[in-house]
Amino acid sequence: MTKGRATVIAGALLAGLIVLGLSVGPQGFGWGDGGALAWLRTPRVLAAVAAGLALGAGGAAQQGVFRNPLADPGLTGVFGGALFGLALLLGLAPEIAWQNAWVLPLAAFGGALACSALLVGLGGGGSTARLLLTGLGLNAFTAAGTLVIAARSGESRELLTNGAYGDWLGMATLELAWLPALLAAIAALSLLPLAHSLDLISFGEDTARCHGIEPVQARRRAMLLTALAAGAATCLVGQIAFIGLLAPHLARTLAGPRHARVLPLAGLLGAALLLGADTAGRGLWPEAPLSAAAVTAVLGAPMFIWIARRRDA
Amino acid sequence: MPEAIITVGGLGVQLGAHRVVDGVSMTAHAGTMTAVIGPNGAGKTTLLRAIAGLVPSATGSLSVGGADPRQANAPTLAQRIAYAPQLPASAWDFSLQEIGAIAGRPETYEQWLVRLGLALPGERRLSELSGGERKCAHLALAFTGLADPFGRALLLDEPGTSLDRTKQAALHHVMRGFAQAGAAVLVATHELAFARTCDEVIVLSEGRMIAIGRPDQTLTSDVLETVWGQA
Repeated sequence: MTKGRATVIAGALLAGLIVLGLSVGPQGFGWGDGGALAWLRTPRVLAAVAAGLALGAGGAAQQGVFRNPLADPGLTGVFGGALFGLALLLGLAPEIAWQNAWVLPLAAFGGALACSALLVGLGGGGSTARLLLTGLGLNAFTAAGTLVIAARSGESRELLTNGAYGDWLGMATLELAWLPALLAAIAALSLLPLAHSLDLISFGEDTARCHGIEPVQARRRAMLLTALAAGAATCLVGQIAFIGLLAPHLARTLAGPRHARVLPLAGLLGAALLLGADTAGRGLWPEAPLSAAAVTAVLGAPMFIWIARRRDA
Repeated sequence: MPEAIITVGGLGVQLGAHRVVDGVSMTAHAGTMTAVIGPNGAGKTTLLRAIAGLVPSATGSLSVGGADPRQANAPTLAQRIAYAPQLPASAWDFSLQEIGAIAGRPETYEQWLVRLGLALPGERRLSELSGGERKCAHLALAFTGLADPFGRALLLDEPGTSLDRTKQAALHHVMRGFAQAGAAVLVATHELAFARTCDEVIVLSEGRMIAIGRPDQTLTSDVLETVWGQA
């Protein structure tokens, strides 16, 4: 497949899935009278597309920074940190959270950023094993923290538990979703200018510097934007792994590893994957819908093992 | 006397408890080739990285093309210095064409590949190359970074390792060409035969400079015996 064509096909696939996503729901197939049903489903579709875009592009950026195809923000604790940030806010000061729309994304961004910093400080610059084990530890800690807060805060308990299972798409409203969706799109687009730096960082920091790139600066910007993407996506979906792994891997397979191709294509594929998973989860079993996180994990976990095995071979 | 490109005075690098480079002083002039030799762990790589401005904690005086590379920003550094690491690696499986595009000058990159004896289709990916071919792909990336070699520093860390005889000869020819174009070429190497063809040789052992000067003055049986324990 020629490289430009992959992006066009992914865009067309996403457009088709958007139409499908607007047509499927518990009220049956179709857009309803004057598009009333489609309008009802718009926030959910918007949230899935924006979150998937951020997850795909953010995953590709984090893998570029760590020079490692297994560095999915969902597995390295960055999304866990975002949810923990939300849990802290909802557990400690729920009234502030619901009065100002921008406080929720800010808390998620803060949590993701803190975990990114810990990941770089404790797990960076070493082996794949060290990176993933540090992420595993961060994930376990933030997940436990989220559950502890959920158990102690009566009103937010169900909300936070659903978030931990990546099951928030169903409650998306335009009022709640527009700001995180905008931030997700901004984060994903702002990663694009880093493509050349990430290409050169692939050859190591010494080589990057000798070709005119400041690797520390580029890495810091990429991590900051990935944390923003993770925070925004978490506000929309809750915690969800494997999109940030699957989408960049598919993008590299289809269009080669240059980041100018991988970042936008991984964003489009991430959006298509998340929207497809959400639509399948509620369309195939309307009486007992599956969360998008469950569907993506069924696809993503075997892929993770496959990439890990190939890497060691 | 031609212009001094690299000037190093009392250079020291401490890594943990270990003094990896200790009091190295040397000068490399435009149009010359200098070989840095010494056993494994003598400090050759660290010396080259320090001169390339990649070891900010290096002490002593250091000047490349009239400025201290430790203070230089990356774009300035990239204009003055080309550096090829000993064990280059890429996180992703780029094709030769893609590496040329990343280097910013695809035609120049392709020319360097041909000059190094690697005339392969541009679609060929790194994973499809042998160890020596891959080394050439990375060397060409470093060469492409140096738009105009005049008055610049070319720092190569064991560039000939894993190359076959034909590619080694091509590499020697390319390095000589850089020197003739006015660069100061500094090469860490284990090839004594190649070192004998250089203008100057620096012998390192345990971070210290044992000898410096013309090959016939430095590659003496005394020095070889002191450093390697055999002549």
